[in-house]
Amino acid sequence: MLLPSFDYYHPQSLPEALSLLGEMGDQARPLAGGTDLLVNLKLKKLAPKVLLDLSGLEELQGNGTDEGLVSLGALNTASRLASGGPEVPGLLAMGAGSLGSPQVRNRATLGGNLVTARPAADICLPLLALGARVVLAGPSGQRQVSLDGYFKGPGYTVKEPGEILTHVLLDAPRPGVGGGYQKLGLRQAMEIALVNVAAHLELEDDGKTVALARVALGAVAPFPMLSPGAAQVLQGAPAGEKIFTEAAEAAAAEARPIDDHRGSAAYRQDMVRTLTLRALRQALSQAQGSKEEQA
Amino acid sequence: MSKQAITLTVNGVARQALVEPNQTLTSLLRDELGLTGTKHGCGVGDCGCCTVILDNETVNSCLVLAMQAQGREVLTIEGLAKGAELHPLQQAFVDAGAIQCGFCTPGMILSAKALLERTPRPSREEITKGLSGNLCRCTGYEKIVEAVQDAADKMSEA
Repeated sequence: MLLPSFDYYHPQSLPEALSLLGEMGDQARPLAGGTDLLVNLKLKKLAPKVLLDLSGLEELQGNGTDEGLVSLGALNTASRLASGGPEVPGLLAMGAGSLGSPQVRNRATLGGNLVTARPAADICLPLLALGARVVLAGPSGQRQVSLDGYFKGPGYTVKEPGEILTHVLLDAPRPGVGGGYQKLGLRQAMEIALVNVAAHLELEDDGKTVALARVALGAVAPFPMLSPGAAQVLQGAPAGEKIFTEAAEAAAAEARPIDDHRGSAAYRQDMVRTLTLRALRQALSQAQGSKEEQA
Repeated sequence: MSKQAITLTVNGVARQALVEPNQTLTSLLRDELGLTGTKHGCGVGDCGCCTVILDNETVNSCLVLAMQAQGREVLTIEGLAKGAELHPLQQAFVDAGAIQCGFCTPGMILSAKALLERTPRPSREEITKGLSGNLCRCTGYEKIVEAVQDAADKMSEA
């Protein structure tokens, strides 16, 4: 399968990339891992005149922690996130590790997954549950956007064509916090989820009461969505089967799946309930485990 | 935009080529450098036939631009054997009957090589996960998994 013709630029700094993007407008597309963009070019879904390879941009590389806040560079590959490390929350590592295949994970990037914004994106869901923010750099400076409000539709976000996503900001992993990720597909690898759920739990010092919870649902709406109902049920309640079952019901009630060739809406709705329950159990065991480790 | 000259290292040898912006790494290897061991399969990153090792990581070379290989190191299936002596993985694939039509084999072997470098004694599950980006339509995978296990045993003894 052949690529259409285009010009290739390899800027060496963020200001250079932004100025090229400003000059060329929507004729240009930033290129990160290429695992979505180059496929879309080959399938003739996109025909940009210019590809702007971001791999030379130091500003988009590397991770750091500052006062309890983790900053992850947009060029982190899914493999790098899946292998964890002190800055990477377990929930994000789980999602990144379930994306595509080893070859795809070695190329696919954090920023690419967020900009491509597919409804079942394996990196977007954990980040949404973790309450992450993205940093967008544009011609007039930087702005931060909460992920809850970033997604607008399939492949469509609040990012302007002249902006480049440079970083993701989130709370540093800490004791008493846990995550669960559940992905249902028709096969175990190289799969876009039929339904996927990411759950994030923060426990009070008693190790039982839920201080904060977020449940993110994938493939059941035009973009990755949070379930406010599930969060509300969980907050302030004692973590356990009873409240998890109620939260799973709330999540299923809020999911807005459609029928398609991969599965029916009714089946997806049922699976939201099942997967939410499993993800919450997983999150609780991780949260309590990290609490014990500290003790 | 016209062709540009790039330099890269392929199988330990410095190479130069003139490439178009829309040329893939698969095309660079096959059409410019004559290394046809790397196969062109689906072209969209699903089948893994075009797998090569780029700076120690497996990639689908159909989704890497040739220009992105500038200054980097590529290992293809042609770089595994030492003269007439096959790499232990290649020999294990032959011995186990893990090759039928052979089209997926170069990619399979390179994925297996990357796996064994990280995990010298993999479990069955680690092998199937490590090879999950490579499709085989002939063997049913059983003999491929066996071959990787055999090679892992031999390579750890050595």
